[in-house]
Amino acid sequence: MAQEAALEADAAAVMRPSQSLTRRVMRQVVRKKLAMLAVAYLVVFYTAGIFAPLVAPHDPNQQDRAIEARLQGPSADHWFGTDRLGRDLLSRVIYAARTTILFTVAVSITGGLFLGLGLGLLAGYRGGWIDTLIMRVGEVLSGLPTLFIMLALTAAFRTRIDSLSQDLRDTWLGDDAKTLLQFTIIVGASVPFAWIGSSRVVRSQALYLREADFVVAAELMGASTWRVITRHILPGVMPLFIVGLTAGMAGIAGAEVALSFLGLGISPPTASFGTLIGDGAGVRTFQASPHLLLAASVPVILFFFAWNLLGDALVDILDPRMTPR
Amino acid sequence: MGPGLLAYTIRRVLWAIPVLFAISIIVFWVLRLAPGDPVDSLMGTRYNDETAAAVRKKYGYDEPVYIQYVKYMQNLSHGDLGVSTRHQGFTVSEVIWPKIKVSSQLGAMALVITFALGIPIGVYAALARGTFLDPLTISFWLALDAVPAFVVIPIAQYYLAVKMGWVGLGWEGVWSPNAILPVVIMSLPGVAGVARFMRASVISVMAEDYVRTARAKGLRERTIVITHITRNALLPMITVIGLSLPGITAGALFTEQYFGIPGIARESLAAVTAPDFDVVLALVLFGSTLFVIANIVIDVSYAIIDPRVRVGTRRG
Repeated sequence: MAQEAALEADAAAVMRPSQSLTRRVMRQVVRKKLAMLAVAYLVVFYTAGIFAPLVAPHDPNQQDRAIEARLQGPSADHWFGTDRLGRDLLSRVIYAARTTILFTVAVSITGGLFLGLGLGLLAGYRGGWIDTLIMRVGEVLSGLPTLFIMLALTAAFRTRIDSLSQDLRDTWLGDDAKTLLQFTIIVGASVPFAWIGSSRVVRSQALYLREADFVVAAELMGASTWRVITRHILPGVMPLFIVGLTAGMAGIAGAEVALSFLGLGISPPTASFGTLIGDGAGVRTFQASPHLLLAASVPVILFFFAWNLLGDALVDILDPRMTPR
Repeated sequence: MGPGLLAYTIRRVLWAIPVLFAISIIVFWVLRLAPGDPVDSLMGTRYNDETAAAVRKKYGYDEPVYIQYVKYMQNLSHGDLGVSTRHQGFTVSEVIWPKIKVSSQLGAMALVITFALGIPIGVYAALARGTFLDPLTISFWLALDAVPAFVVIPIAQYYLAVKMGWVGLGWEGVWSPNAILPVVIMSLPGVAGVARFMRASVISVMAEDYVRTARAKGLRERTIVITHITRNALLPMITVIGLSLPGITAGALFTEQYFGIPGIARESLAAVTAPDFDVVLALVLFGSTLFVIANIVIDVSYAIIDPRVRVGTRRG
């Protein structure tokens, strides 16, 4: 939240036409060791998640009900141990990473790219009543108890998907139908709140660029609105948009984990950090098998932390007051 | 309050009203269209269709959704929030008000701790800028921010209560020692945000002319930091209160659940899963309205205490 405010305040000061912003940012990120560590972790996380079937040592849904196979601690065969049903936890964590990645990508594209960037450009470039409408609605939405509204929406829709998922089961989707519907519901509940931060950042930058000489020149030469936006405004807006998205990524991913933890997101057997943590959470469970909670939560906590660190570093670099030169 | 400020306040209120109405319509429709209407949860699994139809008629669930909505809003304007189906024989008001009291007391305490920690940490980080202590401090609190409440609570409960026996886990009211752990857990994640904002605020104040003047006069560094920098850097912090509210309520959801606190966050989770329609509606509407009002009050009071903020005119 503080990041967005800082970005907004200094959006105008950020652009220095003489320098390539992207290159300057890349150079400074490399110089920041913590940010580099964060990037390294994210690379590992995303690689493992995207290539889950290749990386996972076991089938994440392969149960082993034998009493000695269940709730094993970490071993050479099962690095993170096994869960209540004898499933390999490392494999489940890797597949949960995949769920997190899919969810963040879906929300970033719909809420961030389409709504955030689109509405931000519209508000900043067009101005007038469209600008007022978009910004005021965003202002009210951002002040709401988001998680509660998401709870109410997801809970109401979840009861309705059973029959629909039965119908879809006969199509090519098969058993994935229910997961897909649950996924759609939580994406749908997240999107209305996911565009606000990035649209503000984009808007203030677009407002500034609208007055820039090269934009005015393009307009005078008769360039269409579409051309002005895509060729002249968009390139200047993109870096800040990416920073805004980076700063909000942990929050987006956190929504899925929290909803799944509460039983309102992705439900088992599909692996999600929320349900994995839910399996290990509880004082008695933690006392008896601490590996359940630790194996499920440490990877996703590091994921949140890495995105936050990266966002913090990027804001710091882009904010001229913050960078000692 | 000058005319510009008054106009600003009125404009904020006028914008909030349609958005709140839109939210109420969306939530009402989504809840009413869900199968398993309130009568199902009211009557359990065994009932005959005639009784069900009679009950439906009594509560007006047999009417079209838009008529139900209009009636609901009419009742709402008289302060009637409907009846709870989960707590049979209780109205929604009877269910939610005592719980709102508990939650708001805990939330207020957590908010105070968040700011009491975040502000000095932010000042410290700003003063340590350029050394490794600045990123280290902020990163430490960012790391705490990354740990979800539902992970830290069982671990804290195990080590602090079961193993060390320092605190009890049973709920004995807001003013008992057992409330300390939940309040602390609710307060810690927000510290990073407050500290970061305070750091940015201090850094921008440090560049002000009056700070340079104070230095040039040869004032003690201590005096400059406290009276010239920190006091002025505190002004924008009032807006962060509003930004912290959603985080605190989200944290309350898990804290109340784990510690068995009879608060409104726990009630709302139970109401959502039951489903207890009128309670869910009341909570969403009440929570949204409260937050919107809080944000308006905060922004207006910021404009009053810091006349440099010109809210009447827009940037750009």
